[in-house]
Amino acid sequence: MTTRAVSRRAALRRIGAGAGALTLLPFLSDEGLAAFVKIQAAGAPPAPKILSASQYATVEALVEAIIPADERSPGAREARVADYLDLLLSEAPPAPRKQWLDGLAALDGEAARRFGGPFVRLDAGQLEALLADLSRYETVKARPEEASRAVTRNEQPTEKPVFVEGLFGDLSWIDPARPRPLLEAFFADTKRATIHGYYTSEIGIHKELRYKGNQILAEFVGCQTQDGKDCPYCGQKA
Amino acid sequence: MPIPTDPTLDLDLTAVTDESRKLAASINPGRGRWDVIVVGSGAAGGMAAFQLATAGIKVLMLEAGRMLDHRREYRTMEWPYLSPRRFRVPSDHRPIAVAEYNFLDRPYGGNPAYDRFKKVTSYAGNTFTRNWVVNEKEHPTTGTPYSWVRARVLGGKTNFWGRGALRYGPLQFKAASHDGYDVDWPISYDDVAPYYDKVDVLLGCSGTKEGLIQVPDGIFQRPIKLNCVEVAFQRTLAKMGRRYIPGRAGVTTDGLLNSKYRARCMGRGRCGRGCDISAAFHSPTGLVYPARDTGNLTIRPYSVVSEVILDPATGRAAGVRVVDANTREVMDFKARVVVLGAGTLDTTRILFNSKSAGNANGMGNSSGLLGCHLSEHLMGPRGSGFIPARIGTEPTLDDGRPISPYVARFRNVTDRHPDFIRGYHFQGGGGAYEYPSMAHDLPGFGKAFKSSVRKHYPALLSIGGFGEVLPRKENRVMLDPDTKDAWGIPVLRFDYRFGDNELKMAKDMADTAEEMLKAAGAESIKIDREPLPPGWSIHEIGTARMGDDPKSSVTDRFCRLHDVPNVYLADAAPFVSGGTQNTTWSILAMCWRTMDYLKERMRAGDV
Repeated sequence: MTTRAVSRRAALRRIGAGAGALTLLPFLSDEGLAAFVKIQAAGAPPAPKILSASQYATVEALVEAIIPADERSPGAREARVADYLDLLLSEAPPAPRKQWLDGLAALDGEAARRFGGPFVRLDAGQLEALLADLSRYETVKARPEEASRAVTRNEQPTEKPVFVEGLFGDLSWIDPARPRPLLEAFFADTKRATIHGYYTSEIGIHKELRYKGNQILAEFVGCQTQDGKDCPYCGQKA
Repeated sequence: MPIPTDPTLDLDLTAVTDESRKLAASINPGRGRWDVIVVGSGAAGGMAAFQLATAGIKVLMLEAGRMLDHRREYRTMEWPYLSPRRFRVPSDHRPIAVAEYNFLDRPYGGNPAYDRFKKVTSYAGNTFTRNWVVNEKEHPTTGTPYSWVRARVLGGKTNFWGRGALRYGPLQFKAASHDGYDVDWPISYDDVAPYYDKVDVLLGCSGTKEGLIQVPDGIFQRPIKLNCVEVAFQRTLAKMGRRYIPGRAGVTTDGLLNSKYRARCMGRGRCGRGCDISAAFHSPTGLVYPARDTGNLTIRPYSVVSEVILDPATGRAAGVRVVDANTREVMDFKARVVVLGAGTLDTTRILFNSKSAGNANGMGNSSGLLGCHLSEHLMGPRGSGFIPARIGTEPTLDDGRPISPYVARFRNVTDRHPDFIRGYHFQGGGGAYEYPSMAHDLPGFGKAFKSSVRKHYPALLSIGGFGEVLPRKENRVMLDPDTKDAWGIPVLRFDYRFGDNELKMAKDMADTAEEMLKAAGAESIKIDREPLPPGWSIHEIGTARMGDDPKSSVTDRFCRLHDVPNVYLADAAPFVSGGTQNTTWSILAMCWRTMDYLKERMRAGDV
C-alpha cells in the first residue's frame, strides 16, 4: 500500500473524529465525583473549585444560552452543567485549562468591546448576535478536498502521543486550513461539554428527550408495521 | 483518599479477588489428576470445558485472570447521571484513542507519555469493561499497529461481546472455489451446520429465516423487530435488491430450558456491559458454571500459561507450564490432552513460546506457517443520516434490544465486483438511543438548537461496515524475543497491514453506505470513509490454519496440531478464512465439533 506523510493536524483531526472522541474528555477524580453527586442530589448552592463566583455566573449564562429552558424542559443551568464544566476544568491538565479560562475572559472582553458590558449583562438580542458570530464556523461548508480523506496507515510511528489540546478534546478538524480563533475554539469546546453534560443529566434524558428505554420489556415493540398495522409513530403504512 | 461516592463506579472487587487467590492457591500440580487441560475460559475454553466435563472427562481450566462476580459486575441498568464520570474510565486510566494506534510507537503502553496513567487499554474505555480488559503496560505488543483487545477474567471477551451470532456458509468454507483466491477450508458447511444447530439450541439465538446463502439460517428464537427508521430503510433497500434483516443475536429471547443461570431477554438494551440476567450469552453463565456443576471441572484462575510442554520421548504434549499471576510461582500441570482456547493470538503466542529441541520455531510449526494468515474484519467506513418519516415525531423506545439489524453481504455473492473479491456487510440501525450523539453535529445554539436536537433525535439511522480481510501469508505475528510481558513471557510482534483489496472494498463500503442513505431520502448524510485501526473488529482468526497437508497447514481438519497429536486448538486460530461474519458463533460450533472428535479419540484410547 502507499504511505504518505501525515501532518500533525491530520492526526489531530482523526483523534477528534468518531467513536474515540468521547474518550478524550478529561476525567473527574473521585473527589470531583463526590462533589458532583452532592450538587445534583441536593440542589446545593454552587461551590466551584476553579471558577470564581463571577466566572461561574458567566459560565452559567453561557451554557444556558446554548441549551436554554423552554416550554418542554429546564435548560443547562438547572441541569447544573456549569458545575460539570467546573469539575472538568478542575481535572484538566494546566494547558487546556488555561486556554479555556483565557477563552472565558475573551468572551467577556468581546461582550465589553461590542456592547459595553460583561457577558452576563447582555440582553437577549446582544447574546444572540454574539453567539451567532462565534458559531458561524459550524455552517461553513467544508472544502471539497476535505470530503475525501486519504487512507494513511502504518506511517513512521512517533514517540510522543498526540494529546488533544482543548478542554473537551481537539477541535481543529472543523476547518484545519485555518487556525481557530481563541473565542471560536472556546465556544466549540464549551458547546460540546454542554451537550454532554446536559444530555446525560436526569433533566436531559427524561424531561427533554423523554427517552423511554432502560426498562424491563416483555418484548421489543418496534415499528407497528412489523405487526401488520399502520404505524402511529412514523406514519408508515402496513 | 478517594471518597467512595458511587458504589457502581467504585466496585469493590475484594471478595472475588480473594476467592480467586484462594482458589488458585488450592490447586497445584500435586492436588489432582486431570484428563484434559483447557487454556482459557471464553467462548472457546468455555465450550471445550462444557463438552468434556459433561462427557465425564476430568478437566482443568486455566484462566489467566480472576474469577467473575457476574451478579455485581454485570451492571446492566444504570443511568449516566448516577455516575458523574458519565461511564468514562477514571482519571488514572486511558483508552488509546483511534488515531494514536497509527501514530504512536509500539509498544503503546511503554510510551513515556503514558507514565502518568496506571492503566492504558486498547478498548473504547468505559467503566463497565475496565476491570476486564488488560493493561497495555503489562501486555505490550510490538510491530505494526494493532488494537489487540484482550480480556483476562473468567469468560474473557464474551462478557462484553457484541452478540452478533452469524454462521459462516458455503461462501466462506469454499471461498477459494468461488473466486479462485487462496484455498478452501478442508471441511464444508455441511460438516459444521449440525454444530451450529446445536449451539443455537444450547445457547439461544434470535433471528429470522431468510434463506440467504451468504449467511445461512439457524434454529432461531423470537426475532427482534425493526423500529420505525429501520422499516423505512428496509423498504428502500428492498427496492435495490438488498436485504436488511433483523440482527441475529446470541441471546435467548424465548428462554432456555437447559440452564438455571440464564433468563430470557427483557429488552433492556445494555447488553455490552454484561447482561445481569444472562439472556445474552456469556461464557461463565452459559458454559463454565454448568460445566463446573458436573463436578468434572476444576477452574484455576490467575494462571498465565507460558508454554505447552513437549515430552521428547513420545513427541506428545505432557502438559502446560503456568506462571501464577500473583505469586509468580512457576508450575507444570500434566494431562493426557491439551486444548488451547486462549484466543487466536494468545494461543498462537503460547505455541511460539513452546520451544523444544528440534522445535526452535515453536510447537506445531514444522510448516513454518504458525502466525501467518492473520485475518479479521476491516471496520470504519460508515454512514448516517436522518430518516424524514421520523423527523419531528415523539421518540419511541428504540434501543431496548440486544442487536441492531443487518445488511446482508451483496457484493460478490452472485455477481463479481470489478475492483475487489470477497465482500462486506453492514450492521446498524437507528432511532432514539439514550445519548443523542448527533447533537454534536447539529449547528447553532439556544432554543433553535435544543429543538433541533429534539426533532432529529428519533430519526437518526447509522450503519457501519465489516469487510473481509483476505488471508495473506505475509500478514502475520511472530515472537518478539526482546520484549516481555509482566510475567516475563515474550510478546507478539505484528506485521499486519490492510492490502489493496481491503482498501478498494473500504471505498466501496463508504460509497454504498452513501448510496443507500441517499436512496432512503436521508437528510444530513454523513459518511466516514476511513478504516479504523487494524484489530478494531476484535475478530482475529487464522494464525494456525487448518488443512489436510501438514506442509501447508498447522492443524488438521479437527483443529489438532499436525505435529503434536494431543494438542487441540479450540478458538479461531485454525480458521482458514472468515467472511464478513462475527466470529464467536463459529468458534462455539467449531469447538463443539473438535471436542466431539476428541471425545471419540479418548473413547478409542488414542490419547
